[in-house]
Amino acid sequence: MASTSPRSVFQAFVLDVFFGVYLAITLHRIIWHRVLLNSEPNELTMPLAIVYGSIGVVLAILLHAMKASPGRKIFGLTIPGWRDALAVHMLWIAGVATVVTSWVVTKVSLIDLFSGDRLQRAGQLFGSLFTPEFSIAGQAASAMVETIYLSLMATLLALPITFVLGFLSARNLMKQNNTTFVVYNLVRIATNFTRSIEPLIWAIIFSVWVGIGPFAGMLALMVHTIASLAKLYSEQIENIDPGPMEAIEATGASPLQVVWFAVVPQIVIPFLSFTIYRWDINVRMATIIGLVGGGGIGDLLMQYQGLGRWNEVGLIVLLIAAVVWLMDYISAKVREAIQ
Amino acid sequence: MSQNILQLRDLEKIYPNGTHALKKLTLDIREGEFLVVIGLSGSGKSTLLRCLNRLIEPSGGSILFAGRDVTFLKGSELREYRRQIGMIFQQFNLIRRRSVLYNVLSGALGTMPVWQSILGRFPEELQQEAMRSLEIVGLKDKPLIRADALSGGQQQRVAIARSLMQKPRILLADEPVASLDPATSHSVMQYLERINKEFGTTIICNLHFLSLVRRYATRVVALKGGELVFEGNPHDIDEAWFKRIYGEDAIEVQID
Ligand SMILES: Nc1ncnc2c1ncn2[C@@H]1O[C@H](COP(=O)(O)OP(=O)(O)OP(=O)(O)O)[C@@H](O)[C@H]1O
Ligand SMILES: [Mg+2]
Repeated sequence: MASTSPRSVFQAFVLDVFFGVYLAITLHRIIWHRVLLNSEPNELTMPLAIVYGSIGVVLAILLHAMKASPGRKIFGLTIPGWRDALAVHMLWIAGVATVVTSWVVTKVSLIDLFSGDRLQRAGQLFGSLFTPEFSIAGQAASAMVETIYLSLMATLLALPITFVLGFLSARNLMKQNNTTFVVYNLVRIATNFTRSIEPLIWAIIFSVWVGIGPFAGMLALMVHTIASLAKLYSEQIENIDPGPMEAIEATGASPLQVVWFAVVPQIVIPFLSFTIYRWDINVRMATIIGLVGGGGIGDLLMQYQGLGRWNEVGLIVLLIAAVVWLMDYISAKVREAIQ
Repeated sequence: MSQNILQLRDLEKIYPNGTHALKKLTLDIREGEFLVVIGLSGSGKSTLLRCLNRLIEPSGGSILFAGRDVTFLKGSELREYRRQIGMIFQQFNLIRRRSVLYNVLSGALGTMPVWQSILGRFPEELQQEAMRSLEIVGLKDKPLIRADALSGGQQQRVAIARSLMQKPRILLADEPVASLDPATSHSVMQYLERINKEFGTTIICNLHFLSLVRRYATRVVALKGGELVFEGNPHDIDEAWFKRIYGEDAIEVQID
């Protein structure tokens, strides 16, 4: 049997309480009401929440005391035999309840997907998409060019900032003394936070800030590019061979010279390769960002979609697919060439 | 007539994880000698060499360089001190994607203003000096070849040329031939010997093979568990000493 430290027993119990409450809610509200009775459950009021909570806690205490709870199982604290089996059963019941809940919450409906009426509508839509309207080709092309340049600008402007941040968030370089280590942590926190916000959301923020248009889209992409590339850059720096650094340091070179002569030559090629790949990603994202007012081809797509002009939308989608494919191809070739 | 270029007094190194790598090491190193450090793996040889040029901070004791205490030097004074001590490594530690010449020139970084070096403006006389260094190690026809295109022995010679750019008074060599075949090992050791004889550069070299030690060293020290256990003439290491340094079960391996 694994260690039965009081700490892990307590953690297992906390897990059991969450588990109990979760099971009470999904089993009653989704499985019982929605699936078996096909009725709406009562609105989740405070007293009802307390009832669920109490049932969950009671369940947790019961199972936990029996030494047959899912929490104990996860922490490896069950005894083989019926207790272990009971815990496993509880776990798979929760698993099934979760899948059923996801299905119900998503309102999955085969009828909506495949009924004659709906199928016909979809058929019309696909029909128009596949008969693109070429009269707007010029307009679409210039919007596409805007998108490509916008993402290029975002990548280029991000580059110098990312370069510096990449070094500042490389553990091996920054761990040397306390000041640099504080900087390292601050930069890490800032970039992690920034990266966790999707470019689409940045686009919404910037379109409020600087107004709808390509500038907002560029800023959104730039911010996200900085945060994601800085991480890739710093990982690259962390994986370099420390030998040349030691050798250059031993010649009496200054720290900046050590970085420039021993670190930079080891990372320029991977940096370039990441950056080109990022531009490729940015072109894709730029089409999406246009949907929320980031300018370029996405903007145009939204306009025609709003007007229900599906043949025009068809052309735009075709153009996006072609450009994304081309960018993908070119960036792969370039990255191969510079290896 | 030779005086002590380095004096170690009670030198200690305890790593942050508690490993006691050097214990009260007291040792004088004479100007112009070819000193070889031997000892089992983990006995503290690399730690000793890195303490000498302060790539590793000693935890106690002191280091005197030409009579001056260098144990606590910082910043530009430390770099000034390091400039007088060249170092070569088992893995050569060249910048692999760059040319041989670029690698040799990087040995002179300590003598240049930072901005000038970053802009890549190496003065004409430095370039000529780099070519002379390459000539000394027999590679003057290879300046523009990428460093990682060379054989191991050639790479080590480039590393020697790089350290020559410092006009070092001491050359530290941490197992310089451990990744090379026997013939190439001798060739590299002979370059070190020549530098020692022609320029009077003091050599401090970690080695594993006693046959090389007997052939090149003017004096030997042996470390065991971070302590100095032998100090003397390489030809005085007989069977009994060998077992004391390397343990009862060790058998001497020859390299020719
Ligand atoms: N950075 C470090 N942190 C902690 N312990 C270390 C570090 N470097 C070396 N040591 C330890 O210090 C001791 C001496 O190591 P050192 O590398 O000086 O030995 P060595 O004689 O050069 O061995 P080898 O012949 O294998 O190169 C060893 O026990 C090693 O594990
Ligand atoms: Mg070593």
